Amino acid sequence: MTRRTALLLSLLSALGCNKDKPTGGAGAPKRLKIAVVPKGTTHEFWKSVHAGSVKAARELDVDVVWKGPLKEDDLKAQIDVVQTFVAQGVDGIVLAPLNDAALRAPVKAAVVAKIPVVVFDSDLLGDAHSSFVATDNVAAGKLAADHLAKVADKGGVVVLRYQEGSASTANREKGFVEGLKAHPSMTIVSDNQYGGATTESAFSTSETLLVAKKAGEGNVAGVFTPNESTTFGMLLALRKAGLTKKVKLVGFDASDKLLEALRAEEIEGLVVQNPFNMGYLAVKTMVEVIRGKKVPARIDTGAKLVTKASLSDPAVMELVKPDLKKWLDE
Amino acid sequence: MTSAQGAGRRGVSQRVRGVLAERPWIGPLAALVVVFVLFGLATPETFLRTQNLLTMARQTVVVGVCALGMTMIIVTGGIDLSVGSVVALTTVIIAARLRDGAGPVSAAVTGVAVGGAVGAAVGVLVGRFRMMPFVVTLGTMSALRGVAKGIAKEQKIDCDPRGLDTLLVSAQGMGPGLFVALGLAVLVALTLTYTRFGRHVFAVGSNEAAARLAGIDPSHVKLLVYTLAGLAFGVGGVMEFSTLTVGDPTDSIGLELDVIAAVVIGGAPLAGGEGSVVGSILGALLMTVIKTGAVHLGLPTWVQEIVTGGIIVVAVALDRARYARR
Amino acid sequence: MSAAPARLAVRGVEKAFGGITVLAGVSFDVAPGTLHALLGGNGAGKSTLMRVVLGLERADAGELRLDGADYRPLGPADARAHGVVMVPQERTLCLHLSVEENVTLGLPLGRFGLVGARPRRELAARALSAAAGDAARIDLGARASSLSVADQQLVEIARALAHAGLADDGAVRAKVLVLDEPTSSLGRRDAERLFERVAALTARGVAVVLVSHFLDEVLAHCDGYTVLRDGRVEGEGTPREAGQQRIVREMLGELPRRAERTARPRGDAGEALRVTDLSGERAPRGASFVVRHGEILGVAGLVGSGRTELLRAVAGLDRRVSGTVTVSAPGGLGMLSEDRGGEGLMLSRSVSDNVTLSPRGPRVVSPARLRSEARGWMERLSVRAAGPAQRVRELSGGNQQKVALARLLREDHGVLLVDEPTRGIDVGSKAQILDLLRELAAQGKAIVVVSSQLDELLEVADRIAVLRRGVLGEARDVAAWDAHRLLEEAAA
Repeated sequence: MTRRTALLLSLLSALGCNKDKPTGGAGAPKRLKIAVVPKGTTHEFWKSVHAGSVKAARELDVDVVWKGPLKEDDLKAQIDVVQTFVAQGVDGIVLAPLNDAALRAPVKAAVVAKIPVVVFDSDLLGDAHSSFVATDNVAAGKLAADHLAKVADKGGVVVLRYQEGSASTANREKGFVEGLKAHPSMTIVSDNQYGGATTESAFSTSETLLVAKKAGEGNVAGVFTPNESTTFGMLLALRKAGLTKKVKLVGFDASDKLLEALRAEEIEGLVVQNPFNMGYLAVKTMVEVIRGKKVPARIDTGAKLVTKASLSDPAVMELVKPDLKKWLDE
Repeated sequence: MTSAQGAGRRGVSQRVRGVLAERPWIGPLAALVVVFVLFGLATPETFLRTQNLLTMARQTVVVGVCALGMTMIIVTGGIDLSVGSVVALTTVIIAARLRDGAGPVSAAVTGVAVGGAVGAAVGVLVGRFRMMPFVVTLGTMSALRGVAKGIAKEQKIDCDPRGLDTLLVSAQGMGPGLFVALGLAVLVALTLTYTRFGRHVFAVGSNEAAARLAGIDPSHVKLLVYTLAGLAFGVGGVMEFSTLTVGDPTDSIGLELDVIAAVVIGGAPLAGGEGSVVGSILGALLMTVIKTGAVHLGLPTWVQEIVTGGIIVVAVALDRARYARR
Repeated sequence: MSAAPARLAVRGVEKAFGGITVLAGVSFDVAPGTLHALLGGNGAGKSTLMRVVLGLERADAGELRLDGADYRPLGPADARAHGVVMVPQERTLCLHLSVEENVTLGLPLGRFGLVGARPRRELAARALSAAAGDAARIDLGARASSLSVADQQLVEIARALAHAGLADDGAVRAKVLVLDEPTSSLGRRDAERLFERVAALTARGVAVVLVSHFLDEVLAHCDGYTVLRDGRVEGEGTPREAGQQRIVREMLGELPRRAERTARPRGDAGEALRVTDLSGERAPRGASFVVRHGEILGVAGLVGSGRTELLRAVAGLDRRVSGTVTVSAPGGLGMLSEDRGGEGLMLSRSVSDNVTLSPRGPRVVSPARLRSEARGWMERLSVRAAGPAQRVRELSGGNQQKVALARLLREDHGVLLVDEPTRGIDVGSKAQILDLLRELAAQGKAIVVVSSQLDELLEVADRIAVLRRGVLGEARDVAAWDAHRLLEEAAA
C-alpha cells in the first residue's frame, strides 16, 4: 500500500521533473523558486525568453517554473496562473502582463502576500511591482535613425508607422524621429501614415506612399519601419517599384525572409530586440530583489542593430538565431 | 464456500450498482478525492494551504456558475455552445456601463439581464421553432462574440471596477461572490428536485414525446430553461469581470467546452434526462484541482490537457457501465 | 402444374427459438409466374418462414428447393444471388437520396469500390421500368422524399429487383419476390395499381409471395394461398374456390364457445366523448362516434388501418384536417400510447417519476411524498418492481404498461384513449389490465380501446366498430360480433 503510494508519487514527480532544476534531493537546503509567466509559450520570442531565464537560474542556483496561460494570449488564464502561484507561495513572480490594467490586482495580491513581482516585456500600471525589464524602444528607434543617416547620407525620409494605440512601436517611432533630428541632412517627408496590422495592409499603404512622395524620382533616400509586418510590407513595395537599391530601408525584427533581404542588400539594417537577455535579466533582477538588493525601476534589455556585415558575427547570430536547445532541451 | 463467497460478492456489486444509479455524482466525487489526495501527498507544503484551497474555489466559480445553467440545458437534451461568448459579452457590457458612470450594482444587473435576454432568444428558437440547439448556439457563439467586439471596438475596455473586483478577492481572501455562487447552486439544485418545473425539465429530456403526451408543453419548459441558463451565464460573466477588471471581448474562448466537460464529468449524458447540480460542481472542481495541481507539480500544460481529457472519457465510460445490463 | 417443378418448394420446415416452436413442419409450393398469399394471424409464423426463405434464419429441419434444385441460403446476399428477394413491411428508403441512389443502394460494387455512373444509372432505369412500368413517371434523379407513398413502394420493389440483377435487355433475374404487407399504408386505388404491377411481374415469370391481412386483395388477385396458424399449415388452395368464410375459419380455428356477453346496461348515462366527421392527414377519414360515461368502445382494425392515427387525432396529438371532438367529462381526455418506449414512458426515469409526471399539481413538490404516492399506485395495479425508485427500463413489458396506466389514472381523466393496451405483455398482466379497464368503466369513465387482438376486444368492449383503411364503421353491440365477423369486416 505504502509502496504503491510511493510509486504513484515517483510517477508524478517523474512527469513533473522540471528540466530547469538541477537534481535537488528532497532534503536540500531551501532553494529559491521563481515563477516566470510569459504571454504565451509557442512563439519563437518566448522560447528565447525561456532560455534566458534558464541561464539565469543556473548561474544563480535557483529554480525557475515556466508556466504560460493555457491558451496563447488568454488574459483570464494568465490571471489564474498568477493567482495559483501566489497561492502556492513561490518566492517571486516574473510576469509579462497581457494587459496593463487587468493584471494589476493579482500583482497587488502577490505583493500583499509578500511575493515580489518583476514585470517584463510590457509595462503594468501601478507601482506594486519591483522593476520593469524590457527593451528601451525609444533608444532602439534612435539606433535605427543613426544607422539610416549613416547609409543614406542625405535626403528625404519616410516613416511608416505601425498602428494607433500600440505603445512599443509608438516609442520606436518616437525614438527614430527624435534621433533623426541629430542629422540635419535628413528630413522627414512623411510620418503620419499607418501600415496597419497585416503585411497586406502595410504593403498597399507603402505602395501608395512611395508614389505620393515621388520615391522613383529620388525624393526619398530612406525609409523606417517599426516592426516585422511593416518592414516586410515596405520591402515588397520597394521590390515592386524596383527601388530596393535606391531607397535605404531600416526596419525592425528578424524573420527569415527579412534576414534574406538583408543578405541581398535590399534592407540596410534591422533592429532586433534581445528576448534571451530579457529573460535572463528579469530572473536576475528578481533574485536581487529577493536577496534585498536595490534594483532600478526600469531596466533596458538592449536592442541591437543587425547589418549584412554583422551577420558573420557569431554574437549577432546567437541573438538572431539563438541556440535554444542548449538551455531548453538538454 | 467459494460459491457463497461469489454470491456475496455479486450481492455487493449489485448493491454498489444500485447506489451508483441513484447517486451518479459519487463517481466524480471519488475522482476528486483521489486527485486531491494525490496532489496533497505530492506537494503537501503548498497544495494544502488554506490560501490555495480558496484560490481553487475562486477559480471554479465562473465554470461552476455557468455549469448550473448548462446542467439544466443538458438535462433537457440540449446544449449551449455560446457560453464563452455570453460571458465575454457580459464583461464588455459591465465595463462599458462602468466607464459610462453607472454604479457597480446597476452595471452587474445589466450584464446579467443581457445574459438572460440572450438565453430567452435561444429558448424561443429551440423551443417554439424546434431548431437544433447545437446549430442555434453555434450561431450565437459567433454572433455574440462579434457583438462584444463591436461594443468594445475590438479592444479591451478599461474602467474603474468600483468594487466589483472585490467580489471574489477580498482582504480576507474570501469574497462574497463565492457565497453568491454557492447560493445559486443550492437554488438550482432545489429547483430541479423539489419543483414541478424541475421535474418537467427531466421529463422533457428523458422523453419529449412522453412529456407532450402527458400534457406538458416542452417548448415552454425549454424557453424557461434557456432563459434561466442565460441568467446563470450572465452571473458567470459578472464573476469573470471581477477577475479581469476589464471588459475583454476575446475572453473565455473555449469556456463552453470546459463547462460542458464539467457537466459531463458530473454524470449527465448529452442525450438528456439525467444530471445533477452536485455532479456538475464536482466536475468543475475536479478540473480546477487538476489545473492547479499541475502548476504546483510543475507539470507542463500538455500533461494537464491529457489528464482532463482522459477523465472525461472515463466519466462517459462509467456512465455507459451504469446502464450495462448485468 | 405437377409436371413442372415448383419455383419455390418448402418442405417440412421446422424452427424453434429457445424451446418455443415457431414453425412445426411447414410445406407449400409456389409455381413460377403466380401470386401466392401467405396468411395467418399475429404470431402464426409467417415472418419467421419468410426469414428462413430469405436466408436470415436457418431452419432446424426441412428443406427448400428452388426450381427443383436444393436451396440453402447462407444469408440475404446468397438468397439474392439465387434470385430470392423481399420488400419488407416497413419502408426502408433513404429519403434524402435520389431514386437512382435508392434503387442501387447496397449493390455489390465494382473494382476499387467504384461503380461507373452510367452502368449504375442504366441498371436503375431498367429496374424501375420493370417494377413501375414505363407509364409511371418516376424521375431517377428525384429525391425519394418527394415521391408519394405508392411510388416509394414501387421504388422499393425496383431495388429488390435490382438486387437480384437484371439482364441487359431488361429481363428480370429475380425468381421469388416476397412482398410483406405491401398495401397496408396504401389507399384502395394505389393498392389496385400495385397489383397491376405485380401482375406484370408474374407475367414475366416471377413467383411472388404476398404476406397480407387484406382478404379481399387475396381473393381478387392471388392464384394460391397458404394459411399458417401456430406454425402449422391449416389451409391451402385457391382463394376464389375457398371463399372468405373458409379462409377466416382456417385462420382463427374453431372458436371456443364464448359466454354470451352483451353491453352492460348503460342506463341513461350522458355522452362523455362525441367525435364528428373527424379526418386526419392520412387517417382517419370522416370518423364519427359517441362514447357514454361508463362505456367501453372497442375499435378493431388491421395493421395500417389507421388505428393509432384515429386515437391521436381524437387526442389532438396529430393535426386534424376536419371534424370536431367534444369532450364532456371531468378531467378531460388522456391517452395510453401503444409505443411505450417511444412516447409512453420515460424509460430512463424511475417508476415514481413516471407515475407522477403531470402538468398539474403544486409548484413545489416533495420527492418522498411522490414516491410514497407512487408506491400506492404500484400496489393498486400490482406493479412488480424493486421499488418506486427503480428505473422503468428495467421492468417487464407488462409492468411498464401498468406504470403507464398508473400515470393516466392518477390524472383522473374522464375519457381514456387506450392504444393496444396488451401489446407485448404476458398473459397474467393482460388479464389484470383488461379487468382494470372494466373496473374503470364501472366507475363511470368513458374508454376507447384500440386493439388488433380481436378476442381481447370481444372480452372487454361494450360496443365495437371496425376500422378499415381509415374508415370507421358503425359501432355495434358486442353481442352482434364474433371473431370471424370482425376479421371478415376488417379484412374485407
